[in-house]
Amino acid sequence: MTRWLAKISLRMRSLFHRRTADGELDTELRFHLERQIAANVSAGMSQAEARRAAMREFGGVEQLKEECRDMRDTNYIHDFLHDLRFGLRMLRKSPGFTAVAILTLALGIGANTAIFGVIDSLLLRPLPVENPSQLTVLAFRQGNGPLLTQFSIADFRDLCSQTAGSFSDMMGFQLGFDGLSLEGKADRALTAYVSGNFFSMLDLKAHLGRLILPSEGETPGADPVIVLSYSYWKAHLGSDQRIIGKKILVNGRPNTVVGVAPQGFYGLYPAPGVEAYLPLAMVSSDEPGWPSDVMVNRILQNLYVVGRLRPGATLQSAGAALNVVARRLSTQYPESNKGMTVSVYSERFARPDPGTAGTLMKVAALFLTLVAMVLLLACANIANLLLVRATGREREMAVRAALGAGRNRLVRQMLTESILLALLGGLAGLLLGLWGGRAIASIDLHQAVEVHLYSGFDWRIFAYSFAAALLTGVLVGMVPALRVSRAHIGAALHESGRSIAAGKNRFRSGLVVLQVAGSLMLLVIAGLFARSLVAVQHSNLGFDPQNVVELTMDPTEVGLNETQGLAFYNSVLARINALPGVQSAALTSTVPMGNYGSNDYVKVSDYQNPAGQGLPLVFYGVISARFFETMHIPILRGRSFTEGDVSGSPYVAIVSQAFANRFWPKQNPIGKHFAKVSGATNPLYEVVGVAKDARFSGLTGPIGPFFYLPLAQNYALGTLQTLQIRSAAAPDAVIREAQGVVRSLAPDLPLFSIQTMEEGLDTLNGFLLFQLGAGFAAALGLLGLILAMVGVYGVISYSTSQRTHEIGIRVALGAQQSEILRMILRQGFLIVAMGLIVGSVAAFAFARVISNFLVGVSPADPATYLIVTIVLGLVALLACYIPARRAIRVDPTVALRYE
Amino acid sequence: MSKPTDLVQGTLDLLILRTLTHEPMHGWGIAQRIQIVSNQVLQVRQGALYPALHRLEQQGWIRAEWGDSENNRRAKFYSLTKAGQKYLQREKANWERLSSAIGLVLDEARS
Repeated sequence: MTRWLAKISLRMRSLFHRRTADGELDTELRFHLERQIAANVSAGMSQAEARRAAMREFGGVEQLKEECRDMRDTNYIHDFLHDLRFGLRMLRKSPGFTAVAILTLALGIGANTAIFGVIDSLLLRPLPVENPSQLTVLAFRQGNGPLLTQFSIADFRDLCSQTAGSFSDMMGFQLGFDGLSLEGKADRALTAYVSGNFFSMLDLKAHLGRLILPSEGETPGADPVIVLSYSYWKAHLGSDQRIIGKKILVNGRPNTVVGVAPQGFYGLYPAPGVEAYLPLAMVSSDEPGWPSDVMVNRILQNLYVVGRLRPGATLQSAGAALNVVARRLSTQYPESNKGMTVSVYSERFARPDPGTAGTLMKVAALFLTLVAMVLLLACANIANLLLVRATGREREMAVRAALGAGRNRLVRQMLTESILLALLGGLAGLLLGLWGGRAIASIDLHQAVEVHLYSGFDWRIFAYSFAAALLTGVLVGMVPALRVSRAHIGAALHESGRSIAAGKNRFRSGLVVLQVAGSLMLLVIAGLFARSLVAVQHSNLGFDPQNVVELTMDPTEVGLNETQGLAFYNSVLARINALPGVQSAALTSTVPMGNYGSNDYVKVSDYQNPAGQGLPLVFYGVISARFFETMHIPILRGRSFTEGDVSGSPYVAIVSQAFANRFWPKQNPIGKHFAKVSGATNPLYEVVGVAKDARFSGLTGPIGPFFYLPLAQNYALGTLQTLQIRSAAAPDAVIREAQGVVRSLAPDLPLFSIQTMEEGLDTLNGFLLFQLGAGFAAALGLLGLILAMVGVYGVISYSTSQRTHEIGIRVALGAQQSEILRMILRQGFLIVAMGLIVGSVAAFAFARVISNFLVGVSPADPATYLIVTIVLGLVALLACYIPARRAIRVDPTVALRYE
Repeated sequence: MSKPTDLVQGTLDLLILRTLTHEPMHGWGIAQRIQIVSNQVLQVRQGALYPALHRLEQQGWIRAEWGDSENNRRAKFYSLTKAGQKYLQREKANWERLSSAIGLVLDEARS
């Protein structure tokens, strides 16, 4: 006990009374020396002899003192504070260097912070709910089928009620688009129909009013309430505090606003974010667009299921409990549930859903690698700058070493300086990164849905930036620190300032080779992504998106019934088709790469469904007569729809090639029959035509089966139809005229997603991810290019400035300017060429690893490599040329007098 | 007189603590005492002595006080603390165990 008190008081003393302690040390050692001299004298030496002998025996007094001071545990604090002060002084002394270094680091760390911020928001951050780590996501397979993430409502209820041992609660929700209209202002929003316990299970508190109650959503149609998301309420309703109690029409039916969800809660995933919540049971009964048996029909699978694990329950035990229920369901309902196995995932590792989480993590890892390379390029620049400074400080270090500073101490001082620099750069980078993150968040993606790529600052972002800065500091400081501390004291003290040996330049040139190589890699990756984007945009989509504009609407929202709606559509089409310049116009319920589309299970005649597999799920479009003409999709066999395919005439359908080949291979599909299963009535459709395949979703892989139904026979209330107009006229003019036509027929009808069809393909399901990927990669490539060029410029201009003397002699001896120029350019060319070769090899190796993300372009694409190499080579030579120009203008008399 | 032997690493602490059991001493005195008691075999260098003293002090095994020396000069006197006495006993036992073990091995090798 007393020992600890003594220790603490000693440390306090050495911390706060350092001078006293040092004085005492001095006295103590001097006392020893005097005793030794006295002893020597009494042994018979003369006074001077005795002193010399004692001193010799003693060795270096200052070193010994430093060793004694090191025994105090608090010494490192003193050293650190001292180094810190000294470091700050050094940085202040050369503001130019400091500014360039901090700016470079800020770019590198800022880019990392911004990219990490996006990944953090999308993948790493726990949901803003109570105990998010307990949340799990369910998925299932039937037989060897694909992993499905949407359950039927009936299956959800069974799974929920029979696994209470493992799950303290389980909720379900389904996502879709609905027309929302408040006081005549209509809008379309992504809605979630949630089981009543959705909010109570997440333990969320309403921002305003209340959330949906566990008791709501049991009885079909009984609870016409709606909860708005914070961001929808803010953006579309101007944060109206008196919104509670007002009625919002959802697809024309009144629902009472009961509350606003908390800020920052976007549903279970931020892209796309949910804009409004309704009770699950509101989807059923007489809601338009929903089959009447949605609550009990096990084939209708559209519910995402999320469970909260009980404390102590594991994913394994929960999975086992779920599969007991799944086995029971598959024997009890073989028609819908045969071979069902349920799997359960931790929510954080199943974003956006268990099936695609792996891919998203790979994309995240890819971009973190790319942006880490940018930081590495920045590090190389700083290391280069520090090396130059270190060379100039060799004498200073030698003097320090002579005065008793140990090697570790010198390394520590150099590292303190570089880490200080890195942390300052890191701070600037953090601010830059936060700004960058906010800039990314504010990019208008022109999406019909909310996409929250960035959810603001949190400690993870701070920790990441801090770690990056610290690592940078150690990395860039290590090389010069070791180099200086190794320097020979005597040599450094004797040599003049002009002591920079060729070896050091070789190391610096090596760094630049790496920079050029790294920059080439980044640019090649960016180039390959850009080529992928071009490839998918120009791949054969099966339809022609050029010169087409789109307007989306639902006449149900202004109260039109089926007859009125059809009449309205017919008049719109007739008048627009009559407009000058319009080649054709048509309506469709499913647009390619759109955010919504219709799909259903089909029963196909003359086709034997494989045993143990559920019915095939097929996407389809409900279209008007001139759709194929408008989209430039050729009819291969049979006929297109005509004005004669109306209600009352035989039910007809047109199938895609892939549909015909899958269900009726080597047979004539014309005249065959099939039916959907989930409609209110499910008539048997007769195939009257086969259309060429067109991509409605997914940009790669084989095109799936698809079928088309005529709008006049399949009009559904509450369904959005997109009007597509092909016209040679300017898109703006066509849109204006079309809006005029619609307004003259239905003045209050809201129109959504007014855009050209090419814009409409830039969605999360379409080109958007490719565009984001290519954009990010290009930004990083550009940053890398700038950093590498700064490196090349720095090294060449430094080495030419070191050679001023030599160049002066050469000029004096009659060397031509062009010879000098060639000499310097050759040096630069050598470095750049080596960088290009190393970079090409590295880029190819890296591109091979990420070839899964490339579409329509080989990882060894010669054009990309060639263009990038040429561009990089030219820019690099330009960076060499500027200092070379300066060198040849050297006046030999000045150069020779120099130094 | 044979050449002074360098001290085995770690035994210096033990020697210093043992030397201080009698009375408080200053650094020079400690070095002299060790040299005399060991019949001039063990010679403690200053370069090792003072860092060791400071380390032992920092660890709380010994305590330092300023006092007047034999020739009336101010000197720093070190004395053993209670914790230091216990530590010495422990280390001494360890040392004896170690040296007797080494002795056993050497004797066995000789026979």
